[in-house]
Amino acid sequence: MEKKSNTLKIVSAILVLAIAIGALVLVFQKNRPAASEGTKAYTLTVVDDQGTEKAYSGKTDAEFLSDLMDELAAAGDFSYEGSKSDYGLYIEAVNGLRADYDADGAYWSIYVNGEYGQYGADAQPVADGDAYSLVYEVYQAGEEAAN
Amino acid sequence: MTAEPSRGWQARDLAITGAMVALLEISKRALDMLPNIELITFLFIMFTLYYGKKTLAAALAFATFECVYFGFGPWTVTYYYVWPVLILLVLVSKKRGRTGVWYYALLSGFYGLFFGYLCSLYTLVLSGPKVQFAWWVAGIPYDITHCIGNLVICLVLFRPFSALFGRLRSQGLL
Repeated sequence: MEKKSNTLKIVSAILVLAIAIGALVLVFQKNRPAASEGTKAYTLTVVDDQGTEKAYSGKTDAEFLSDLMDELAAAGDFSYEGSKSDYGLYIEAVNGLRADYDADGAYWSIYVNGEYGQYGADAQPVADGDAYSLVYEVYQAGEEAAN
Repeated sequence: MTAEPSRGWQARDLAITGAMVALLEISKRALDMLPNIELITFLFIMFTLYYGKKTLAAALAFATFECVYFGFGPWTVTYYYVWPVLILLVLVSKKRGRTGVWYYALLSGFYGLFFGYLCSLYTLVLSGPKVQFAWWVAGIPYDITHCIGNLVICLVLFRPFSALFGRLRSQGLL
């Protein structure tokens, strides 16, 4: 009998703890600091290996493209992987699609307002109204010779 | 879990307090990379259950060590009351005959859940209720992690540590 009563007390205490956690979640959701909207408008389009486009747009205070990409990644619907090198951030994968240059000459290129980007993502400044594209491209052997 | 023998401070109390602070610091550094997952709450519960109110000295020494390590600031005052509050809660529980693993697991869970609020009290004094509320709310996700971490740690470790501390006591080492 006493064991049953103890079990009941434990279950009740667990319930109270769960309710307290729920109450704190509500307090947090109602009162957490609102993210402030940035001041620079942007669009970022991801073009995958099939040519399918996915566009993101909004306002940001990001200084560099990589900061904007970090913001988008934190928001959840965008992801990327990259490695830092002496030449800056080298983008290896976007939205789970990995470009392996050693395997098939694939790489992620950056376009800024339709022009091929001159900088890495961590050195590309973000300006108001800029349109960025991350495009999956494959280097074709002999392409340079033909040009 | 018998009541600790009532005696004054002896040389061995200093050694035990030193050992407790060392264990607290080692466990803290070992889990530093996991935000709000810590063994300190659990260890203070166990120390208090087996070493009684003298654990307060270890809490004060631990707080001072933390201040020396991280530097002194307005926030350091929290170090001096958060752990004594837990020790007092355990002393009261012990006096009321609470010995069960679930009791202390839930106590450490609740303590973790309201740890941020307890820590935020210094901002109430320094900056007023609005700042204190914002400070507390910003840390709620960490408090929830703290709560679940404390609960699980106590459920897993309470019995083995009870056996260990019981053996130390029977050998006159605690």
